[in-house]
Amino acid sequence: MSRQKKSKGLPPWLITLLFLIVAGAAYFSLHQNFGDSSMRTVEALDPDLYYNEANSLRGNTYKIHVQIDSSLGDSPTRGRLFSVLLDSSDPARGAEILPILVPPELGSLTIQKGQNYLMKVQVVENGLLKVREAVKP
Amino acid sequence: MKINSMKSSRFLLFSILSLSGLPAQPIPNAQTIHETGQQYREGNPLTGAADNLAIGSQAMFEANLKAKKNIVDMKPNTFLSLWNNPGFAVQFEKFLSAPAETSEDAKLYRQRIDRIMELLAPGNATKEHQDEAFDLLPLASQFESDANNCTTIHDAVYAAANARVEVQKLTELDRDLENQLKSAEYNYVHSAESLTLSREAVSKTEESNNDKNQNELLHATIDPAKDQVAALKATIQRNQQQIASTSLQAKLALQSLILQLFVQRRYQHVIIIDRFYRALFDDGDQSLQEFEQMADRLGYNKAAGQVKIIADANPKGAVASGSQNGGPNNGVGASAGAGTGGAGASVGNGYYNNNVGGDASALSGSGLNLGIENLSVESLENAFSTGMKGASRTFKSLSQLDAFANEIIRDVNEGVKVYQFLLEKSELESASSQLAAVFTKGEYLPSVRLLSVDEKRKTLAYAQLCNRLVNAANSGNIDALAEVTTQMKAMNPSFDDAEIRAKLESVKTASSLYVAQAKVAAARGDLPSVQTQITRAASLWPNNPELQDFSQHMTQLSDKASPQVQAVNDFTQLYGQKNFRQIWDDKEKYIAAISQSPDNQGKLKDVLSRMQDIETSIMRSQEIARRGDYAGAWEGLEVAFNKYPDDLKLTQLRAEYTTQSPDFVHDLRAAQSYEEKKEYGSALAWYLRSQKRYPMSDLAKEGIQRVVKLITSDAS
Repeated sequence: MSRQKKSKGLPPWLITLLFLIVAGAAYFSLHQNFGDSSMRTVEALDPDLYYNEANSLRGNTYKIHVQIDSSLGDSPTRGRLFSVLLDSSDPARGAEILPILVPPELGSLTIQKGQNYLMKVQVVENGLLKVREAVKP
Repeated sequence: MKINSMKSSRFLLFSILSLSGLPAQPIPNAQTIHETGQQYREGNPLTGAADNLAIGSQAMFEANLKAKKNIVDMKPNTFLSLWNNPGFAVQFEKFLSAPAETSEDAKLYRQRIDRIMELLAPGNATKEHQDEAFDLLPLASQFESDANNCTTIHDAVYAAANARVEVQKLTELDRDLENQLKSAEYNYVHSAESLTLSREAVSKTEESNNDKNQNELLHATIDPAKDQVAALKATIQRNQQQIASTSLQAKLALQSLILQLFVQRRYQHVIIIDRFYRALFDDGDQSLQEFEQMADRLGYNKAAGQVKIIADANPKGAVASGSQNGGPNNGVGASAGAGTGGAGASVGNGYYNNNVGGDASALSGSGLNLGIENLSVESLENAFSTGMKGASRTFKSLSQLDAFANEIIRDVNEGVKVYQFLLEKSELESASSQLAAVFTKGEYLPSVRLLSVDEKRKTLAYAQLCNRLVNAANSGNIDALAEVTTQMKAMNPSFDDAEIRAKLESVKTASSLYVAQAKVAAARGDLPSVQTQITRAASLWPNNPELQDFSQHMTQLSDKASPQVQAVNDFTQLYGQKNFRQIWDDKEKYIAAISQSPDNQGKLKDVLSRMQDIETSIMRSQEIARRGDYAGAWEGLEVAFNKYPDDLKLTQLRAEYTTQSPDFVHDLRAAQSYEEKKEYGSALAWYLRSQKRYPMSDLAKEGIQRVVKLITSDAS
């Protein structure tokens, strides 16, 4: 009778604990990768490169994590124009400021000063950053 | 005076600096310049017109460049030298402009002259032909081109013929008187021989009385015969004298007319009257000795009117006789000649046929009134008189004269043919010289008169150019002379213009040298020398461009002597250079000066407004900079700089502040650059970046607004 009790394996509480650990890691990992599978492979925008060679970046798509600075203008056909603050790679310089154009297709997106957004932007004509996707982180 | 001299030197030094092209420096003391200008205007002792004239004349001598005179005097060719005589030039030009004498009247005139000469030709001059020729003279004189010379010949021949008749009558009278004289002498001798007187002497007293009676009887018997002889002798002598004088008068009248016509170059008329002379005076005496004596007495008659030779050989009162019975060789003849209206009075002593007694007679050559009447131009009168004298000395007989006239006619006819040939060969200079020579020798000969206008036209054009050449040389207008010389050379390539060109260049060079000397004198501050040299230069070449430039500079400098004028000039110059800063710095001076110059008041107002704006911007920026806001200071200047980019002070200060806020300036310029390239996205990024650096930036703000508007515009 005593031999049968020794062959039962891992206890259930341990299995539950491991499951919880794995699930937490998966959740954390998912959120660490911008929470969106479409931006996972998009390159982050280099602000210096954009300032100096925007023309050569035309057509490229980048992702930026920005804070809304202010609204610059609004056009029913062209969209909304905002200035956003982008964290600089050089802490001494502080945040970089960039203009972005939110096209009318993203009209449903509510944008207010101070909000943080993860955006996928494309360098279009005239060196303008046109927002293709935007999600709140 | 010393102070004034120093001031003058300073003024001229300044002027030379200006002339030498160095930029004009600001005048340190306007009052000093003003005083100097006044001195220049008023205090120069050589400013009088007479002084200038004297200097100009002196220049001509000093430089030994009497170009005007030299050019006139030089003889580049025969033709040109002829034109140096104005009288000839006028006559010749008239001839060249006159049409050919091809009218029916002219033709008829020539036919009549030819007929007269033919009738009087040697071997053909019969009494009938002479009469016919004589009758043709008035007919030939009807034509204008004859100038009534044939009438003059007609009258002279008529007078000579009358004289001959008178001589013949006197000769016949003398012959009768001589017969009477022989009879009287015979009676006188017979009376003397047949007279026998008794001699009865009773006493000495009676003897004496008897002698007296005998003498009375002797005289009573012989004296009438003796007186008759003496009277006849005297009458014969007077007649002989009258014959001589009448004949001489007639000869001299014709001879003088012949020479007159010769001097007038009326050679056909010379031949005609010469042949009449030979027909009238066939004694073989053709000497012109008497005429030569008269010509020596030829004087001037300045009475105005037609040209006419006076050849009055009537010796009024010139013949007188005296009688004295004092024996042979003691005769004293007193005579006096006084022609009315004519000159000449003489006393002649001599013996004439005084075989018996002391009778003496004198023949005076006085009373020959020979001169020129009706000639208004004294020079022509002198020339004519000289010609007459020269002709009388050249020709000793009428035969010489006749031969010479024929030779000239032949020579002229040949010269006309040569002229036509040269003209055909386009040798204009030689042709013109030939025509001038032909004209000089035989102006009135048919071959010359028959030249057509077409034949003379080229020579006329050339003659006019020659005339202009001489006039231009006389006037001293170097430029006009050069122009005419060029035209002459173009018209006549063989024209030798080397000497004229050389002299023209010499004059121009001399004038330029004087201008250079004037500049040197100005550098020394020697005002009188400046004026002297300039006057010399002007006297040589009035239109010298260097002279005009120098004068303009001097005028400007003179104007600068007035502070007000100087200030206006400076303002105009600075305004033209857009040196508004300099105007602003001296604005007090210009405001005062421009108040009298309405044309510049608007410009000055604009300048002051502009500079006020700039100065305000500068002051504001400097104030901002003092607070450490260099970006704001730069921006304030940048706004003013965009409006007034040519202000030096603004530019310098802007550059200084640029170095104080380089990032902001860099960002803003980058934004502006992208905006200009219409890359509005990049421009907006840079504007935002510059605004982030300097949030108070108006330029960035305006740029953002401007670009946003462009981006969000529906049209874009």
